[in-house]
Order: sequence, then C-alpha cells, then structure tokens
Amino acid sequence: MIKTNLKTSQEYSKAFFAWVVSLALSVILLLSSYDFSANAVKPYVFLAFSAYALFTITQFFLTLKIRRDILRHGDIARSTRSLGYVQLLSILTGNLFIVTSAFHLVKRQKNPEYTLAVYTLLTGIFVIAVSALNLFKPYVSDTFLPSMFSLVIITIFHFIALLLVAKYVQGNKVAPFMIWIACLLILTSITGNIFALLLGLNLLFKIRNNGNPATAKWESIWEKLTQNTTAMIGLFFIIFLFSISVCSLLTFDYAMATENNYGAILLHPSLAYPLGTDNFGRCLFSRIVFGARTSLIVGIVSTAIPVVIGGILGAVSGYYGRHTDNIIMRFLDILYAVPGILLAIAIIAAFGANTVNLIVALSVGAIPTYARTMRANVLLVSTFEYVDAARAFGSRDSAIIFKHIVPNSLAPMIVKSTLTIGAAVISTSSLSFLGLGVEPHIPEWGNILKLGSTYLETHSYMAIYPGLAIIALVLSFNFLGDGLRDALDPKLG
Amino acid sequence: MEVAKVTPAQTSGSHLSRNISNTYAKMLLNPSYKYFLLLLGAPINLVVLFFYLYRRKKDTYYSLLDETRNELLESGYKDKLEVETLEQLQRKHQFFGQIRSQEKTERQAKKMTEAMFQEKIDEVTNRKLQLNQQRRLNFSGTFESLINHPSFLIISFIPGILMYILIFLYSRPYLKYVFERLVMTLFVILGVSVLVFTILHLSPMNPAANILGQTATDEQIANFNKIYGLDQSYLAQLWNNLKGIFTFDLGKSFAGNEEVTTTIARKFPITLTLTVISLIMAMLIAIPVGIISATKRNSFWDYTFMFIALIGLSIPSFWQGLIFILNFSIKLHWLPATFNPQNWLSIIMPTIVLGTGLTASVARMTRSSMLEVINEDYIITATAKGLSKRQVLLKHAIRNAIIPIITVIGLQFGGMLGGSAVTEKVFNISGLGSYIVDKQFIPDIPSIMGGVIYTAITISIINVIIDVLYAFFDPRIRTKMKQY
Repeated sequence: MIKTNLKTSQEYSKAFFAWVVSLALSVILLLSSYDFSANAVKPYVFLAFSAYALFTITQFFLTLKIRRDILRHGDIARSTRSLGYVQLLSILTGNLFIVTSAFHLVKRQKNPEYTLAVYTLLTGIFVIAVSALNLFKPYVSDTFLPSMFSLVIITIFHFIALLLVAKYVQGNKVAPFMIWIACLLILTSITGNIFALLLGLNLLFKIRNNGNPATAKWESIWEKLTQNTTAMIGLFFIIFLFSISVCSLLTFDYAMATENNYGAILLHPSLAYPLGTDNFGRCLFSRIVFGARTSLIVGIVSTAIPVVIGGILGAVSGYYGRHTDNIIMRFLDILYAVPGILLAIAIIAAFGANTVNLIVALSVGAIPTYARTMRANVLLVSTFEYVDAARAFGSRDSAIIFKHIVPNSLAPMIVKSTLTIGAAVISTSSLSFLGLGVEPHIPEWGNILKLGSTYLETHSYMAIYPGLAIIALVLSFNFLGDGLRDALDPKLG
Repeated sequence: MEVAKVTPAQTSGSHLSRNISNTYAKMLLNPSYKYFLLLLGAPINLVVLFFYLYRRKKDTYYSLLDETRNELLESGYKDKLEVETLEQLQRKHQFFGQIRSQEKTERQAKKMTEAMFQEKIDEVTNRKLQLNQQRRLNFSGTFESLINHPSFLIISFIPGILMYILIFLYSRPYLKYVFERLVMTLFVILGVSVLVFTILHLSPMNPAANILGQTATDEQIANFNKIYGLDQSYLAQLWNNLKGIFTFDLGKSFAGNEEVTTTIARKFPITLTLTVISLIMAMLIAIPVGIISATKRNSFWDYTFMFIALIGLSIPSFWQGLIFILNFSIKLHWLPATFNPQNWLSIIMPTIVLGTGLTASVARMTRSSMLEVINEDYIITATAKGLSKRQVLLKHAIRNAIIPIITVIGLQFGGMLGGSAVTEKVFNISGLGSYIVDKQFIPDIPSIMGGVIYTAITISIINVIIDVLYAFFDPRIRTKMKQY
C-alpha cells in the first residue's frame, strides 16, 4: 500500500528525476571545469559547478524528505512543500530540472493550466537570459533595448498570470474574469511563446465549458502530457528554440552571424563570444541561434508535406481497397525501395542544392511510410460501427473519410510525425554537412558543423556546439513524440 | 502385389488431371491470375473455347431456361411480384416521409421486379438441372472434361507448358507466395530504375556544359551528347538504361572515363562489409538490451537503457564520427582516424557510428515487441504450466517477439546502406556511398543512377529473402497462405 503510494506520487518521481539529472549535469560541469592539458581550473565553470552541486545536494535531501513524508504519513508535509520555494532559486543557475520539480512541489492541487503557466514563464525567462548575453558584445542591434524591455514586461505579466492561474483555476472551475488574462496570454504568444497560446486557449475552453466536469478527450490528453516530465521538457526546448528564433529577429544582430570580421578570427569562447568565433570571425553563438530557425522550418515543413500527401494517399487506399489500394501501394513500394537519403541525393543532384530542393527531396522519400501508417489505421477504423452507420445514412464517401475515419486515425500519425521531425532535422544537417543541403552562406547547424570539422584538431568547439544543438533538438522531438504516444494511445507503446 | 503396383499409377493419373482442372477453375475466378492463365495457355484455351462453343449449341441449359421463363410468365408470378414490390416501395416512402412522384416509384418498382424475376428464373432452372442430375456447361467444365482424357494432357503438354507451370505454382501456396513476391520485386526494381532515371533526366542542368566547361563550343557539346546518347529521345534513353541495368553495362561515366558498373562493383564490397558488421553488432547489443528492458520494466536499467537508446537515435552520425575521431584519434591516439583496408582497427569506429542508430531503434523495438508478447495469454499458460521464468522467456516470449524485429532489421538495412554515405565521407572510406556523393557534384548522371539503383536492388533482394524465410519459419504465415 505504502509502496504503491511512493510510486504513484508525482512529486517524488519528479524530485528523484531532478536530482539524478542535476547530478549528471554537475559531474559534466566538474569535468569540464578542469583543463587537463594545462592542469588548471577554469574559475567560471567551477563556479557554475559549485552552484549546481549546491542545488543538487539540496534536491537530494529534499527527495529523501519527500520519501520519508510519504512513507510515514502518506502525504507530503507543508514544511516540505515550502522547501520547494528555496529550490525555485535554482532558476538563477538555469537548472530547468530542479525548477520544474520545485514548481511542481509547491502546489498541492495541480492542473494542466498551472503546468503550462510555469512553462510559459520559464520560456520567457530563458529567452531573456540567452538574449541578454548580447550585452557583452561590442555592439548590439538598434532594436535590442526596446525589445528586451518589452520581453521583460511580457514575462512579468506571465508571472502574474501564473499567480492568478494558481489561485483562480481550481479543477474545472475558472473565475470568469480570467477571460481577459487568457486573451492577453494569446496576444503575448506573438513572441513565439507557444506555451502562452496553449495556456490561453485552454483557459478559454474551460471558461466556455463553465465548470462542466464532462471533459473532452483532448483535455485528458493534456492532463497526461503535462504530467510527463520528459515530454514537457522536450516541448519546452522546442518552444524555447522557436521563441528565440522569433525574438532573434529583433534582439540579435544578423550581421554578427554572417559578416566576416577579420579582427576576431578563431577566438576561443569568451563573454563577448560565448561559443567562440569561426575562421571568418563570425560569432558561433549567434550563428547557432540563427541556425535554429532553418533547422526548425526545414524539419517541420519536410515532415508536414509527406504527412499530408501520404495521409491522403493512405486514407484513399485504405478506404477504397482492392484496385485503388493495389495501384497506390505498388507505386509507393517503388518509392519505399530507395533509401531516403540516396533518393534525396539523386533529387538534389538533378535539381541543384538549395533549401527548397532539400525540403522536396526529404519529403518525397518520407511519403510511403506515412501512407502505410495511415492505411493501416484507416483499415482498422473502417471496420467500426460508426462508419457503417454513416454509410447507412447515405453519407458521401468524402464525408465519411474526412469526418469519421481521418479524425479517428490521426493519433498514430501525430506520434509518428513528431518522432520523424527529429529524423528530418538529422537528415537536413547530414545533407548540409555533405554540401548537398542548405546553401553554404546560410547559418545552418549542418553548415556550421561542416566548417567546424576542418578545425577539429585546433578548435574542436566549432564542431562540438552545433552538434550538441542538433542532439538537443532531436532528443526533444523524440521525448515529445514518446510522451504524445503515451498520452494519445497507451497501447501503441 | 501386382494389384498394388497398378492402382497408384492409375489413380495418380486421374488425380493429376483432377488437380489441374480444379486449380484451373479456381484461377479463372481470381481477377489477376485469370488474364495470365488465358494468355500463357493461349493455344490450349483456344481449343477449349472451340469445344465450348460447339457443345453449347447442344446444351440443354438454354432450352430449359426458356421453358422456365414461359412457365413462370404464364403462372402470373411476375405481375404478382410487381404489385408486391410497388406496395413495399410506397410503404417505405410513407414511413420515411419521402415524397416521390407516382411515375418514378413505378419505374423503380419495375426495375426491381425485373431483377428479382431473373433471379427466380435462374434459381428454378438450376433446381431443374439438379433434379435431372445435369450440370450447366461452362468454360472450366469443358476444360475439365477435356483434360480427363490422358491423350489431351499429353498432346497439350508442350504448347501449354507455361500454363501448366503457372497452374502448378498456383496449387502450392508456398511456391505461389514466393513466386508472387519475386514478381513484385521485379516490378519494384523496374519501377525504381524508371523513377531514378526520370528524376535525373528531368534535371535542368546541362551535363555537357558542366563537364566540358564554359569554353566548350557547340560542336563539342553536340559530340559529347552523341557519345553518351543524350541526344536521343526520353524513351530511347530509358530503354538503353534499363537494358544496361539488367546486363550490368551502364557505359562510361561522364568524368574519369571509367566503366560505371566495374567501379560500382569495386566500391560495393567495402560498403556491404561495413553495413553487415554494423548490423551484426547492432543485433548482438540491441536484442539483449531490449529483452532486459522489457522483463525489468520501469526499473533503473530500463530507464537507463532506453534513455541511452533515445540519445543514440538523436545523434547525427557525422557528428558522432567527428567526436570519435577527436577523442580516440586526435587526443588519445588509440584508433586511426581514416579507414585503411590493411588495418582492421580502422573499421571499429565506422561500424560503431553506422550501427548506433540501428542499435537504438532495434532495442526500442525489441522492448515494445517483448512487452506486447509478455501480456499474451499463452505466456500466462506457460507460467501456469510451471515452467521456469527462463524457459517461458526463451521458448515462448522471445521466439514470438523476434518476428517483427527481423522485419524492422530488414527495413533498416536499407536505411543503413543509404546512411553509409555520410559515415563513409566522415572516415574517408571509398565505398559506394561516398562515390555517389562525390559524383553528384559533377553531376555524373550514369554513376549516380547506377549507385542508387544497384543499392535499391540489393535492398529489395534482401527484403525478399527475409520475407520468404519468414514464411518458411513461421507456421502462422504458412497457414494463412493456405487459406487463400
């Protein structure tokens, strides 16, 4: 009985996860704070390590305390929960894992809105923190100060929204005046903070439902998804990258990333150039920030196109069956027989290397997999009674397909597409690395890496950081995809 | 003894012809096999058709049909049927509140009556035929009666050999499956060749101008186009290329003046070796890891393994390669940075890099496949029977879980052959992948086409072998095949 309590406690599992990950991060920081070749300690990194270690130790004892509370009383004591406020301070070190676990701990009754509000606030803070690094640069863009000012105001508003959500959203009941907050939140999503948009929409729906406890299916999906730490952290990183891509239009100087600066060639990381500079004196940090935009756009578009085309082909083929099915699937078999990357190379060889051709090349190769997934789902859904009922009522085929069958077979498609955006990001950067992808002058992660690989021996950071960015983005999409799969259909796991 | 010797021969003779005629009748009902059967056995089918037309004239069926029709018409059955149908229709419209014109309803009723009447006639006629112990003459029946004469079988054997082979294949489910799979692969290979050729043909680039340079005269360009057959029409070029692919002669490459197929044959072994070693490594690591994760679900090991697998899926192979070179070659000097066929140590890093993605996905697949199987009823039965946990796992769970995993491995193999292009570039291996990448900068159309098509063909053939072996080893698939 008590054991199961421990397992079902969200707070305990999150606190445990936070301290393990935080420990791993501290160890990485400790290792990188020591320069083995010069036998010297890097002071800044060591400082960061000390901060991380401090919070990790606190988190460890907090986790033990939560465990003891649950084992003794079956519930977490108020004093333990208030310790979470201390851990909230770890936001200063940027330790996302401990912060989210602390936010989770301090509130007893949690709902999806509270979690979304927390992530909205965190996204804003992270965007401001990363943008603020530009302060150390020799110069900033003209729009830097006003846009930073508005970002700070928006984030303060998000903080107020978090407090209001914590107080006035109880279960299914939402105070009516929150409708204004919701509208404002949707407006602030112009910064690319999609969490704000999601939170606003969620609030609006709840207000409209008027405290009706009957929940729609997607609400329970939200509930499951927001409880999944790794999925939320994946989503956080994706939205953070999206938001910083949007904000970088105003807060970052594009010239820093593209114009040659022969006074600052191949500098090692410093405050002015947090990740160093490349062989043309361009700031690697700015390049990676601007590269996020290309990677996200190419990854998402080259997944969306095959999802739509493959989805339609698969739905038609699964619904009509027989000859239609045979013809469509045999043609897709041909496409399927060529490995995606080789097909992409052939298309790019024929039409030249640029971003549009890259998107087309990646899309074409991915069509068959989506068509197969969709076809299998449609075959399954077509056998359900409600489809027979619709047919008996004399609905047209197109109405049956698009109103009844497609919406009910979308779940595996959503999961699959989320999981393959990551693969598309990898393919994009791989092709760019081979010189077959995005044009070389555009800062794109694969392009940056290609340049960095020639300086592997002397300036390895040029190859390491863009690679880490790629891994983080792909990992986030994979985490989100796994989380979505668990939330949408546990059977798929 | 004497009797026993004679009987099998006699029965087998009639047994054979009965088998043939049965399969023949079945195949005629199959929409896709029907045409092949009629086409391949054209001489014999013509003879059968002749007999059929001749016998039909004397057949009693049609006279019987006319007789029945007249009988039924005289008895007033049709008029009664029409009145009934009309009434039903009117009631139906009344019930659903539909308003239809009288004329329209009557027309509909008439149409329905006609169909019902025809059905009735057929039914009565067939009953009469059965009463007289006769059968309606049809095409396959004619064939059956002919094939029962041994002399017909012997005479028709040579001209109808193709048809008899087809009938033989059709009568054996497993052979039929293998045959269908092979035909499909041939179709896919042809399709891939046409597809890749068409993509490269549509290219807006002018290879002659690219290779000869800006200064080339029109004459030189025309000459170049003539040598490589680029001045011919699309269909002529397509035909030449298809012929070239199946005869392993794709002509000379645009740049370097080398035979495309010999170059590919020289570069292919190293790519294949690399892929196969990575594949074996991936299976050796991934399957045990997946099984451990599934049996100790939600434990520390499960989380750790699956987290590592997720990272393995998320790592771009070229970056992994660079980091390996940085750490193991540049910093630690353990392994050589570039591939060298003489040094076996140099193949370690490329295989690990190439196999990482596959290892990760197979481990995840094994875990989910095992989890699915572990919850099946037969596992509970096996446990209830008193088998040890180990026996249940090895004999019941893994054997069933491994099937989807092998399919995934077969499919991923293609991805690996394609993905080897990146790994080969990182480690400077002169395999097929890096060959295609190098050639695309020119762009050297025949080389790219050859490389891509032969890779696709290899993948298709491997997938066929896996499918066929599968059907051979998995009894469930075989029973399913027999039900067709």
